[in-house]
Amino acid sequence: MNDDRKPLSAKAKEVGQRIGSLRDFLEFLEENGQCVTWSDEVYPEPDIRNVAVAAGRDANTGPAVIFSNIAGYPGKKLVLGVHGSFTNLALLLGHPKGTTIKELFYDIISRWGDDEPLLDFIEPEDAPVNQNRLTENFNLYELLPLYRINEYDGGFYIGKANVVSRDPRDPDNFGKQNVGIYRIQVQAPGEFTLLSVPAHDMGRHIMAAEADNVPLKISVMLGNHPAMCMFAATPVGYEESEFAYASQMMGSPLRLTKSGNGMDILADSEMVIEAELMNGARTLEGPFGEFPGSYSGARRIPRFKITAISHRNDPIFENIYIGRGWTEHDTLIGLNTSAPIYAQLKKDFPEVVAVNALYQHGLTGIISVKNRFAGFAKSVAMRALGTPHGTMYLKNLIMVDDDVDPFDLNEVMWALSTRTRADDTIVIPNMPMIPIDPAAEIAGKGHRLIIDATSFMPPDKLGSDSKIVTPPAGPEIDEIAKVIQLLQNGGKS
Amino acid sequence: MSLCPRCQSANDQIRTEHKGLNAQGELVWTIFHCNACEFSWRDCEPAISIDYDTREAFFRIDPKKDYPVIMPPAQYK
Repeated sequence: MNDDRKPLSAKAKEVGQRIGSLRDFLEFLEENGQCVTWSDEVYPEPDIRNVAVAAGRDANTGPAVIFSNIAGYPGKKLVLGVHGSFTNLALLLGHPKGTTIKELFYDIISRWGDDEPLLDFIEPEDAPVNQNRLTENFNLYELLPLYRINEYDGGFYIGKANVVSRDPRDPDNFGKQNVGIYRIQVQAPGEFTLLSVPAHDMGRHIMAAEADNVPLKISVMLGNHPAMCMFAATPVGYEESEFAYASQMMGSPLRLTKSGNGMDILADSEMVIEAELMNGARTLEGPFGEFPGSYSGARRIPRFKITAISHRNDPIFENIYIGRGWTEHDTLIGLNTSAPIYAQLKKDFPEVVAVNALYQHGLTGIISVKNRFAGFAKSVAMRALGTPHGTMYLKNLIMVDDDVDPFDLNEVMWALSTRTRADDTIVIPNMPMIPIDPAAEIAGKGHRLIIDATSFMPPDKLGSDSKIVTPPAGPEIDEIAKVIQLLQNGGKS
Repeated sequence: MSLCPRCQSANDQIRTEHKGLNAQGELVWTIFHCNACEFSWRDCEPAISIDYDTREAFFRIDPKKDYPVIMPPAQYK
């Protein structure tokens, strides 16, 4: 049970009830000036990449961009940047523009968990995703406006699909059914490769199917409810359902139906591609510009064959720009990466105030903690390295006091400038590390760095005579800052 | 289209995947795929992606080389 749980605000409930699909959310973003349509003709390369990067520069207020005129794809629509800014996330959660990242963090924490799922099941024939159904002659190159995301990618990637698979050894278990985002490279009109690793839930499903030589069927959901994407990218427990988390976060039911190959899928997605693992097949895939901002190399990876495709009328292809940050990937998963680390730390150390793991999926993390005694922050840092996500990702950790907002880098830099001693940092060599850390000497291993930027406490006397200026702070000052912003914008938020 | 922009495999390894047409049904571009190195490309892309000599040599692929296998298939262990 989550002790930070709070009831949803009236506005959050209203937004939760209104948004049932990607289309609903795009309409809502447009009303709030957070979705624009690029109607001039673009070529798939390099125009889409150029527009996506330019639109995504502003992590706070950048809009989603709909492309409606893509050369060679008449009538097809593509949308990028749906989760590309914190303002878009704020609107999804029922907050006004100008909501701070820290406020969003606490709001997500207050909704965290899967113990109150809200799921409606509807018949497949009533599901909008089944308005059109193909059972042969599949051609992804024709159905989707595909393009090369980064210039040296090995092909055309689908980067934001939510992939549903069941545990082949426990196929009826709803919780073990997994929804995850995995990069998909189109390898033929009706075949694709999908990258997962043994540490992923999906990787476990692939290995089990091949070991037992049984079919592994998957459903690839494209253009989904915006909350689904956030949780498909979140490492929840193996037996926890991403559908349950997403519905609980919205406080409103998600509509599910059954795909033709037996998965639970969102009834209102733009497209669902049903496919089957080609047991034993491995195909050269990559490179692909990944979230650390570098290309991951070419490898031979599992391959899937399409067995059916369902889609809405005039489906919108939702994709993502990913590469050197800041990108939509960072906004999409940042808060949902931070929240489970916070929840896990808080169980043992109630002094933990907030966790910022926004940077490159948590390769750098900043933790705000109230020191209980001298050196306490270092113990908390060690515990963070032992959390499920921390084990592979938290490479650099900066520990700050509870009077520092870890989401405000100016405050973090102040703490680093005034509270850090160069010999009070810790390097732990040869720890596990995600293989795509570009700084790794050996892929899959790396060193960890802990910088203790919390103030010193007795018995350490150092710095004890420095008295900190306490400028006015708190909700009242936050409100004044928002009023000033309003005045600056001529009364418009 | 003669050679693969990434591995320089010859014509017989290259297949035509899809032709993109405009609303009037005229050809705008063509997508190709190399059977040897699995590279896909569109013929109207910038040279940095589809011209062998312009591309950074680092990204060349030798189809005969052994590339790492993710999750080696269990039944062949």
